[in-house]
Amino acid sequence: MTRWKFFLRKSAMEKELDSEIGFHLDSVIQEKVAAGLSAEEARRLAMLEFGGAEQVKEECRSAHRITIIETALANLKSAIRFMRRSPGFSVTVILVLALGIGANSAVFSAIDAVLLRPLPYPDSGELVVLHQYDRTRKSDSPIAPVRLEEWNRYNSTFQAIAGSYTQDLSETSGTLPERLVEADVTPRFLQVLGIAPELGRDFTSAEEHFGGPPAVLISDRFWRRRFHADPNVLGKAVRIESSSAPIVGVLPAGFEFPEKDVDLWAPVPMDAPIAQDRAFTWFTGIGRLKPGITIARARADISAVQARLAWQFPQTDKDLKAEIQPLKETIVGGSRRSLWILFGSVTLLLLIACTNIAALLLSRITERAHEISLRYSLGASRCSIVAQLLAEAFVLALAGSVLGLAIAAAGIRVLHSLAKALPRADEITLDWRILLYTLGSGVIVTVLCGLVPALIASRRSISPALASRSRTQVFAGAPLQWTLVGVQVSLAVTLLTGAGLLLRSFQELGRVSPGFDPNHVLTLRISGNYGETGDQKKMFQHMKRALEGIETVPGVDSAAISATVPGAAREFPTDVKITDAAVSSDRKTTADERVVYGAYFETLRIPLLAGSACREDTLWTTAVVNRSFAEAYFPNRNAIGHHLEITPFDAKPEITGIVGDARENGLNHAPIPTLYWCSSNANPSPYFLIRTHGDPMGLANALRRKIHRIEPARSVFDIMPLTHHLSESNAENRFRTLLLTLFALTAVSLAAIGLYGTLSYLVMLRRREIGLRMALGALPGQIRTRFLAQGAAISLLGCIAGLAIAAAFSRLLAGMLYDVSRLDPLTYVAVAIGVLAVASAASALPACRAARLEPMQVLREE
Amino acid sequence: MPLEKSDLLQGTLDMLILKIVALGPVHGYGISQRIRQISNDVLQVQQGSLYPALHRLERRGWLEATWGESENARQAKFYKLSAKGRKQLMKEESNWERLAAAVTLIMQTAE
Repeated sequence: MTRWKFFLRKSAMEKELDSEIGFHLDSVIQEKVAAGLSAEEARRLAMLEFGGAEQVKEECRSAHRITIIETALANLKSAIRFMRRSPGFSVTVILVLALGIGANSAVFSAIDAVLLRPLPYPDSGELVVLHQYDRTRKSDSPIAPVRLEEWNRYNSTFQAIAGSYTQDLSETSGTLPERLVEADVTPRFLQVLGIAPELGRDFTSAEEHFGGPPAVLISDRFWRRRFHADPNVLGKAVRIESSSAPIVGVLPAGFEFPEKDVDLWAPVPMDAPIAQDRAFTWFTGIGRLKPGITIARARADISAVQARLAWQFPQTDKDLKAEIQPLKETIVGGSRRSLWILFGSVTLLLLIACTNIAALLLSRITERAHEISLRYSLGASRCSIVAQLLAEAFVLALAGSVLGLAIAAAGIRVLHSLAKALPRADEITLDWRILLYTLGSGVIVTVLCGLVPALIASRRSISPALASRSRTQVFAGAPLQWTLVGVQVSLAVTLLTGAGLLLRSFQELGRVSPGFDPNHVLTLRISGNYGETGDQKKMFQHMKRALEGIETVPGVDSAAISATVPGAAREFPTDVKITDAAVSSDRKTTADERVVYGAYFETLRIPLLAGSACREDTLWTTAVVNRSFAEAYFPNRNAIGHHLEITPFDAKPEITGIVGDARENGLNHAPIPTLYWCSSNANPSPYFLIRTHGDPMGLANALRRKIHRIEPARSVFDIMPLTHHLSESNAENRFRTLLLTLFALTAVSLAAIGLYGTLSYLVMLRRREIGLRMALGALPGQIRTRFLAQGAAISLLGCIAGLAIAAAFSRLLAGMLYDVSRLDPLTYVAVAIGVLAVASAASALPACRAARLEPMQVLREE
Repeated sequence: MPLEKSDLLQGTLDMLILKIVALGPVHGYGISQRIRQISNDVLQVQQGSLYPALHRLERRGWLEATWGESENARQAKFYKLSAKGRKQLMKEESNWERLAAAVTLIMQTAE
């Protein structure tokens, strides 16, 4: 039976003790009775001989008393004493650990919230997003309502498929129209997501039919903001533009689908005449798989369904394919690599911190050798000494974890403000999972950085030897300590190289000329719904009126309309045929297609290279191309005057102008052949781009007032400078670069501290040797050089190893680097020089201290 | 005449117990009986030291304890030697022999 069980089963042990002693007494009594004594006399004598039974029992108990818990408590107590005895050392260790653990926990909290935790829907693993994919145009598009219904009806792997799209509307019951985001949803929408309204009900089937009664569901946020969480809100009307609809339900707080800031949900009648056209693409599909169905099976199933439709409706469906992807993947997939890279680097940081502390603990071995050999001679086992040393590491790690938790909490707050680009960023919290993770790291750290020093210190053979050697002999070397320093340097170099590459890429990106001038350009949007797109002429009139109004505001130089913001990653590839006899017409060419209106090129300062820039052409007979287009498809010829054929639209425009290349798809994307139409937009609420004289935001109010006068029923939203959009589109890149740089700099500082600490310690150990050398004629300069060389040698080795690791792992950064090779020599050399400089600075102080030793004083100390 | 408890050399009791137990599983009463019999009543182990010693040896893993039936059909705690205990016994025996030889040598030579 183990001690542990004894501790837990104290009462069982008591019983055993009683019966063991009882048996003994009875045996003695029997023996005495057999010898002729009376039973009573025998009993009295037996008790007398035995001595106090209670006392014996107590002695037996105490033999078992030293249990694991009691030993542990004793160890912890002495560890705390040890901590208080050397506060400087303890504080250093705790701070280094807290930094390492805190940063690690903060990044882990992001990983946990964004990547690990399921989405906030029941059985969210079953949810998939569906698109239709056009094989000839090579692009995704939303799904036509009819097709969505067919997919839902004919598949065998989904519980149900629904769809939604959003539009910006104006709610007009207040004094000023308020912009609302409305999600228009198909039947089965809430059923697929597995969500029920918090208040009220889902849409009835009458409400989902064409001509049925209107109804809306509102978000919890809108309910609180607009109705002050009124429990009697059901039945109240929301006025949207010219119509109004009663509220039938309020959705639970935190329900943000398909977009974050949706205010209301309205049903789309799938049997409306307008919804019957197979060419209309409205919905992003959301489906729920049947339990146990894999994504591959669902993909095969839905592809088969679409293949049948292609055969049935060749004209519209022959090039279409169904695409499905897990919902979670579409939301967080883009951030996965960034996050894991950050987590990897912050774990390296923790590893460096661990190594650092291991080296610090190791350097204390010599100081404690006397204590340890004394304990051995008093009969301690190696086990108990290792336990004692581990307990010390554990107390330090625990203090470090607790402080680290505080740092993680602060770090999470920083993440919230920094990581707006991150999906699910507002779900990042400090909860019990993070708490457990932090404490777990503390335990792992104890083992990682406490075990090796403890094992070495407790070697029976080494400690007495070490104890005497440090006093009377020259301490030859500390290979393990130097290895630890080398490891720290190499890991720090790895991190710094990664950060350096990202920084260089960032710098290159900043140097890129976007091909347009984003400064002094204000962007805004005016609400409009997809219903208006039915009457293109009227919608065009409204856009034109708004644009003309904007141009009259003093301070506005020029204005234009575009479906997208230039510089944001959006592509609209289309097939272009060059219908010119001189060119082989079979050649397939693609171009990015942009529909702009007004003084677009003037407003963005995209230079006109040849021909004329269009302003307005509602007949789609002319187009402007960029320089890449002209050079790619009309090499050595003038592109102006040629005709193109755009298949999907049946349009045959003439090229009337060539403009400079602009990075419309994002600053990190080289310009591609682009075709500009100067016509009205299919988007009911496109971006207005306005070039201003002075500070663009200074005109915001004047513009808002002007637009309100022209369009009193519409709201103006998303007013911000164009530069703001550009920096937003770069936010994740910036976030990643900033954090990695921060981690790398911390790592380098830790490595420098490690080097400094180890070298100072060695200087202290070798005082006698140094004194002796100096007494024998060594010059201070020689002593200094020796130590400097030692520090430099180990940093150089660490540097080389670190650069090699960086080169091997830089593949992870592929796709995140712009115009910088992952083996960019400049970065590698700069990192090496930087780290070596820091390392020399860190070794300079202890080396100089060694050189300043007074030989006589040192020798007299002994 | 029986020796007093204090006359036993420190650590000797442990060795005696290990030696007795090495002969086969035995309970505490049996151990005290045998020590007395084998030493011709010279050594009489005080119960007050026997049981704490047994528990100490058990905790160190030199003895293993099991409950079994005694010769008079009662439940008793039987001790037997573990592998670790056997090693310890050998060590103590050789130590003892050296010590005894040394003491004898001094006693004879210094006459």
